[in-house]
Amino acid sequence: MTNPPEFQVTSGGAVALQQPISVARKSPSRLFWERLRQDKAALAGGVVIVVLVLIAIFGGPIAKQVTGHGPNQTFDSMTDAYGVPYGPNASFWFGADSAGRDLFVRTMYGARTSLFVGVVASGLALFIGLVVGMVAGFFGGWIDTLLSRSADVLLAVPQILIAVGVVAACSSSKSGCDLKLFHLQPGLPVVIAVITVFSWSYIARIVRGYTLSLREKEFVEAARSLGAGNIRILATEIFPNLVGPLIVYATLLIPTNILFEAALSYLGLGVPATTPSWGAILNDASGLYDVAWWLMLFPGAFLIITTLAFNLLGDGLRDAFDVRSDR
Amino acid sequence: MRKPLRLALLALPVAALAILTAGCGSKSSSGSSNNNGSSGASSAGGYTGTYENGSAEKGGTYTVGWEQSFGFTDNFDPTGEYLGNAWGILDNLLVRPLIGYKHAAGADGNELIGDLATAVPTPTDNGLTYTYKLRSGIKFGPPVNRVITSKDVAYALDRLADAKNGGQYGFYYSVIKGWDAAGKNGSHVSGIDTPDNNTLVIHLTKPTGDFNRRMSMPATAPIPSNVGDCFKGKPGAYGRNVISSGPYMIAGSTGSFTSCSALKPFSGYAGDNGNHLTLVRNPNYDQSTDSYRKNYPDKFAFVVNSNADDIYNKVQAGQYDDEQSSPQPKTIRQYVTDPNLKKRLLVNGGDRTWYITMNLTQPPFDDIAVRKAMNYIIDKQALRKAWGGPVVAAIGTHIAPPAMYNNGLAEYDPYATPNFSGDLAKAQAEMKKSKYSNGTGTCSASACKGVLMVADTRAVDNRMIPVIQADAKKIGITFTVRSINGAYTTIQTTNKNVPISERPGWGKDYADPYTFFGELFDSRALIPSGNTNYSLVGITPQINTEKKLGVKGNLNNVPSVNNLIDNCQTKLGDARLTCWENLDKHLMTQVVPWVPYLFANVATILGPRVTNWSYDQFSDTTAYSQVAVKQA
Repeated sequence: MTNPPEFQVTSGGAVALQQPISVARKSPSRLFWERLRQDKAALAGGVVIVVLVLIAIFGGPIAKQVTGHGPNQTFDSMTDAYGVPYGPNASFWFGADSAGRDLFVRTMYGARTSLFVGVVASGLALFIGLVVGMVAGFFGGWIDTLLSRSADVLLAVPQILIAVGVVAACSSSKSGCDLKLFHLQPGLPVVIAVITVFSWSYIARIVRGYTLSLREKEFVEAARSLGAGNIRILATEIFPNLVGPLIVYATLLIPTNILFEAALSYLGLGVPATTPSWGAILNDASGLYDVAWWLMLFPGAFLIITTLAFNLLGDGLRDAFDVRSDR
Repeated sequence: MRKPLRLALLALPVAALAILTAGCGSKSSSGSSNNNGSSGASSAGGYTGTYENGSAEKGGTYTVGWEQSFGFTDNFDPTGEYLGNAWGILDNLLVRPLIGYKHAAGADGNELIGDLATAVPTPTDNGLTYTYKLRSGIKFGPPVNRVITSKDVAYALDRLADAKNGGQYGFYYSVIKGWDAAGKNGSHVSGIDTPDNNTLVIHLTKPTGDFNRRMSMPATAPIPSNVGDCFKGKPGAYGRNVISSGPYMIAGSTGSFTSCSALKPFSGYAGDNGNHLTLVRNPNYDQSTDSYRKNYPDKFAFVVNSNADDIYNKVQAGQYDDEQSSPQPKTIRQYVTDPNLKKRLLVNGGDRTWYITMNLTQPPFDDIAVRKAMNYIIDKQALRKAWGGPVVAAIGTHIAPPAMYNNGLAEYDPYATPNFSGDLAKAQAEMKKSKYSNGTGTCSASACKGVLMVADTRAVDNRMIPVIQADAKKIGITFTVRSINGAYTTIQTTNKNVPISERPGWGKDYADPYTFFGELFDSRALIPSGNTNYSLVGITPQINTEKKLGVKGNLNNVPSVNNLIDNCQTKLGDARLTCWENLDKHLMTQVVPWVPYLFANVATILGPRVTNWSYDQFSDTTAYSQVAVKQA
């Protein structure tokens, strides 16, 4: 074991007090950043996510402009007499799908759908889960019981089965479902709603656990002794301490929900057939993967890269937020 | 170590996926080749009919892979079962209605024969009375083991009349005197007499030219009353205890019937949700009473398999002999292009029309000019390709397939376009006549924008939708597509007011065009849910109110064809076919409820053990009574 530099032991064993070395004060955010930037994988994940977001925003229109092919434009020459699509060539970089559409253009547009669904559904789930978890954990008692059991019920519900019902019920008319409180339009809104309903309970459980711990902390007692009300404590004392974990879980939830959308689309329950999404393209590949490998490779690769990027970033963020982690 | 590993994670799975998919693709490089894909085995009219691959011998097991589930509509109970593939099993192997078929392909297969009856009777009493003489000595299989009498046929008809027993096509028999009254109180149908054990007399309320055909459907086959009574008011329950009157019986049908409580479901129809059906020889069957069933195999095994690829792999490997599935385009291409496999792909006419239905009450399809324009603009070749090309179907150009008219209307196409690929000029010429177009040739009204189209979620729907959207857009019609898993439920509900759907298809119940026109265009048959007249042909405000259909739209001046249907129903023979042909033309030119685009084929792929096979035109599936396999 070595001593700190300011305490140097002389040969006689006496301790000589030297001039202390000045240590710059570091803010929590700076400490966080210093830890995060050492994690190259997380940074790479972050860069990939930025690139994917750019693709989601600009990729589709640019691909359309470059190739001259619309996302729903069919090309008879890109399927054989039996309707089996042809693979990549100079004009169709990713080949064609089974309807003879340009897979490259659809994959680029698909990024928009998949990321939009993933981010929006995760955002809504986080918000609901945060509110429910904080209220349940902070107030306890019957409120906790009611909210926690509600979340448990949702966790026990067969998700795909309910998703099938909701999507079918809300897709049978042009106007969608009238749920009294709001009108649920078929297509993306239904998919987002279904994913949100089945995602928030996980977040609520986690937030409740953190809140149960935080409400016993000294700084909460101090705030209360200074006259702060429940809402103020929740907003100014509890919530800031939940931000770190929430960001981490958000990065893990987004890819999960992208995969959920892909699963729904794979089952034919996701976005409309004319809206490109990676899951829908993979659904198209299900009967053709052994003769049209490109249908699985390109959207599958984007899906894997996206999932991994979010997971690596989330992993890095968790390490960076957690001062006890071994680095 | 950790960080480089995590970085590498970004690249490794993609590389792995690339290797995996490339590996899969290496099985067939033709996917990216410039294979023009000739239609190979079939085009319209070039049907296979039969297949011979050696001499037919008695014995062996004929195994059929069945995709997803049996999909029985009434659990295989003959009284209610309405699935064509189930009819193929019932009529070929398990039951003998009074009237039958030769279990052959084409027109020959639609010719009526006496099955349980000695002959096909000619009606008397101005077409109002049919007298059937039963063959003597035909017995029920175990556990009933007694001679079949006319009372057993009368019992089956009474059972069908009583709605509580789950009959799904009892409407065909409402022309029998007292049918509707018996249906309400569960009594004997007064218009059915059994003067002796070998005679059945049926009295009708009006001449019905296709009545003998109606007596060929499985629900009319004899049922022993002591067993049938065990399942009174329990739709579908008899399906696991069907008592054989044919050459085979459900495995496990043994012993003697003593009581309902002692009667257990036969073991041959078992598994979760009935995932396998095994038939074995009926020991009481007398081949000398039957001229058309060959009955080569000792056993039939129908096995549910959820994986279509696995089914075709097993058929190719000889583990299955036949399949009840829908070959994907890749499978068809494989069999058409491989000379060794080609002869095992058998293509026959399916007596089914696939069509886009347009609702005559909903804008913009309440305008006949728009409906005609749609007929001109749709690229039927592209839609056929979406289904898998010429092997899968012939191009549909009118309501009922030509086979229904004994190949009449084979060349009839009132909306002919070059190569069936659509004609923009003709479509625009029609659209100019529309109230929605302002004479521009494209639909400029808001009614044409974002029109609701209900589609299904099958792969073929996803391939068709962009074609239809792109075509309609050329004449100014855009769609809001709603893809629903099981879209039929929605389009069969009248108050959903669905303007257009690409989902429908319709196949015959028996070989008479009435089975198209009566159910699809007769406004008297309109019902709020389960409706099959999707276009609402013949609807009036009065019908809408009386039948509580809940239709909101333009109900005035919707054309009706009820009188034309009634007129054809009184005719027989060639005059009858000509009448139906004229009605088909009338519908296509004066009503225009559909864009018919395919006359379906049935593509069947056989395993290498099969030595004899024939198509059954009546049930549009394998003629199981004609097949044979090599011994193991």
